[in-house]
Amino acid sequence: MAIIGREEIVAGLKKILGEERVITDEQVLKESSVDRYRKYEQAMEVYTQPIPAAVIYVESAEEVSKVLQFANDNEINVVPRTGHSAIEGGLETALKDSVVIDGSHMNKIIKVDRYNMQVTAQCGVPLQALDDMLREQGLTTGHSPQSKPLAQLGGLTATRSIGQFSTLYGGIEDMIVGLEAVFPNGKICRIKNVPRRAAGPDIRQIVIGNEGALCFITEVTMKLFPYLPQNNRYIAYKLDDSQMKLGFDCLREVMVNGYRPSFARLYDAADAQQHFSAWLESDKAILIWMAEGAEGITKATYEGIKELMSKHPELEPVETDLIEKWYLGLNWGPENIAQEMEEIKATKNIGITTEVSGCWDCIYEIYKTSCERIANEVPDITMIGGHSSHSYINGTNMYFCYYYNVVDCAPEEEINKYHNPINQIICEQVIKYGGSIVHHHGLGKARAHYVTQEYGSSYYMLKTLKQAFDPNGIMNMGTLIPLRK
Amino acid sequence: MKLLACFKVVPDMEAINSTDWEVTDSLSVDLSYVRLVWNCFDESSLEMLLKLSDLSEGFPALVNLWALTVGQKNADSYLKTLYALGYERAVRVEEDRDLRFCPEWMAEVISAFVKKENTVDGIVMGSVSSDGNNGMTPYLTAEKLGWPCISQVIGMEPVDDTHVKVVSQQDHGNVTQVVKLPCVFAVGNAPCSYLRVPTLKDRMKKGKKPIEYLDISQLGLKKEISGEGFVLTGLEPVRQERDGVIIEGETAAEKARILYQDYLRERLDAL
Repeated sequence: MAIIGREEIVAGLKKILGEERVITDEQVLKESSVDRYRKYEQAMEVYTQPIPAAVIYVESAEEVSKVLQFANDNEINVVPRTGHSAIEGGLETALKDSVVIDGSHMNKIIKVDRYNMQVTAQCGVPLQALDDMLREQGLTTGHSPQSKPLAQLGGLTATRSIGQFSTLYGGIEDMIVGLEAVFPNGKICRIKNVPRRAAGPDIRQIVIGNEGALCFITEVTMKLFPYLPQNNRYIAYKLDDSQMKLGFDCLREVMVNGYRPSFARLYDAADAQQHFSAWLESDKAILIWMAEGAEGITKATYEGIKELMSKHPELEPVETDLIEKWYLGLNWGPENIAQEMEEIKATKNIGITTEVSGCWDCIYEIYKTSCERIANEVPDITMIGGHSSHSYINGTNMYFCYYYNVVDCAPEEEINKYHNPINQIICEQVIKYGGSIVHHHGLGKARAHYVTQEYGSSYYMLKTLKQAFDPNGIMNMGTLIPLRK
Repeated sequence: MKLLACFKVVPDMEAINSTDWEVTDSLSVDLSYVRLVWNCFDESSLEMLLKLSDLSEGFPALVNLWALTVGQKNADSYLKTLYALGYERAVRVEEDRDLRFCPEWMAEVISAFVKKENTVDGIVMGSVSSDGNNGMTPYLTAEKLGWPCISQVIGMEPVDDTHVKVVSQQDHGNVTQVVKLPCVFAVGNAPCSYLRVPTLKDRMKKGKKPIEYLDISQLGLKKEISGEGFVLTGLEPVRQERDGVIIEGETAAEKARILYQDYLRERLDAL
């Protein structure tokens, strides 16, 4: 906690950045004390976390360096932020008189290097703007998370995000070739852009996924790929909801036979009804793949997957135009969030997601037992289901979607009555079966409590990194590693 | 008191891709892939009836809620939701034809159902649906039944077995009146218009009740759609233009003088 008072913090920051970029408006501070992990509290406009001393807007790595040195000298907790789309409490200001460092003004695309197929951009560049610009030139980053209309490159890198086409392009950790980050002592570090190197450990991976708990990311360089939507091919089947195990096996079959579709999804019936209710029976699950890239590859992928699936009489083909059009409207923008808030206020019904992963031999058990426990153990549940949306050679993820009515409970109690117990059930089942409790949202503060179980003996390495890079404990405290009570 | 909620499920227009709104030779919007939602005004009326039922607890008036829709099987999950929320009857009149622009026929079906049952005390429905946008069904239904119709309803409360208190929006403000049943209520821009969500346990307990299916012949109606008032023969964009005059002159001063003399002086003098 800071060793100087709130006024001195604000004065010190104004000295570095000037008056205009140090925001102390009460409403801004309240809204900056949380992220969408506490969306019920947000909807009800009840703020339970310590209100930060200021939100500041930085415009260069040098400014970040000065701010972090000031914070480090005065033991001020800082929370790095860009698009403010986090959903696991990573942006909560857990300590009194924190400072939110917002990098969204650092929004320059520095270089599109077509020859080397890489793009360099500052941390505040919105992914949507970047990819739209690239697509006009026939290029893409291949990164397309549902938060694309909101998220910016710094946050996407810091949370180790993943996009809908990850089965082909990988997660952001596979896309970043180099970056720049600033550490709590003010040291600006640049990791150069090269195809690969074997010069010791891959230190990019210390920064990617650090969730603002080790450093502030100011710039990234990402790979580029040709954008060839004209070659996209879709494949879809429906199957009985009772055949979800077969659904996972079908995803596996495609992966282990060497196919790399960009999009590979399995929705259970409950989740599918949220998307396909116009034409899909309410007791049907759905399997979807999309092949993307050069024409020869998409043709071979399409035909190969069709051939594999033809051996399963339980699968019924679906008209792929329906899938293609649905897919075009899948992302989640500010207008969706505004409507969601209105609905939460009116109905006191709230929807949350938790994403986990597991190898092929346990993912079905994780899915099935978690759904059963949540339905039986948590009160007022109105929907529980989920989908797998990112597959690998050795396993896949599970994206649980659940809704509940908030009944007889103050807004500040909601998280402990419903949200956290549900997370706990899912985490318990995942740990029991040997999966990972976080697939792509980050640990944040919501799931930091499970970090030792998640890491096991390797927790030593994470803790040592934190102690080494942030000895004064100023970087987004409570994220990754829980606060001591 | 038996109150009948009539509702439609409609494509979620907000989920349509922007490219599908572009004008093409087909003159239609592809809705085949778009998820379904409650028609928003019907959603308000369904929730309004649940609130009325909540308010009637402890009243001598027992409120009995029924729900009726006309359409295809994809409405069944919505009817099951209404069972789970406490509606006592959920009925679907089976129809696979496009009835978006047939409000007379809709009114015919609803009124035939009400006459057949002969115990309905009031009908509540949205004032308009987002797909057909006719805004006629409540009035035509009332006409066919010989019942009064109150439009732009935004709130209802129970009074006794045969009366309800109704708040409706009118040009000069809200009007509150105690209405004797039977009556048709057309729900308008009601506040808090989202329908509550049943829990999984309620769905298991109450949502398994079988939906009642009716063929239009069971309502004494012939298969042919009667009263087809409007047939869509084409669509043309409305050309919107504003008149304008370009003031000619050698210099800016000359143009300003013409502007003042010909267009502004008289107006300024009148101030």
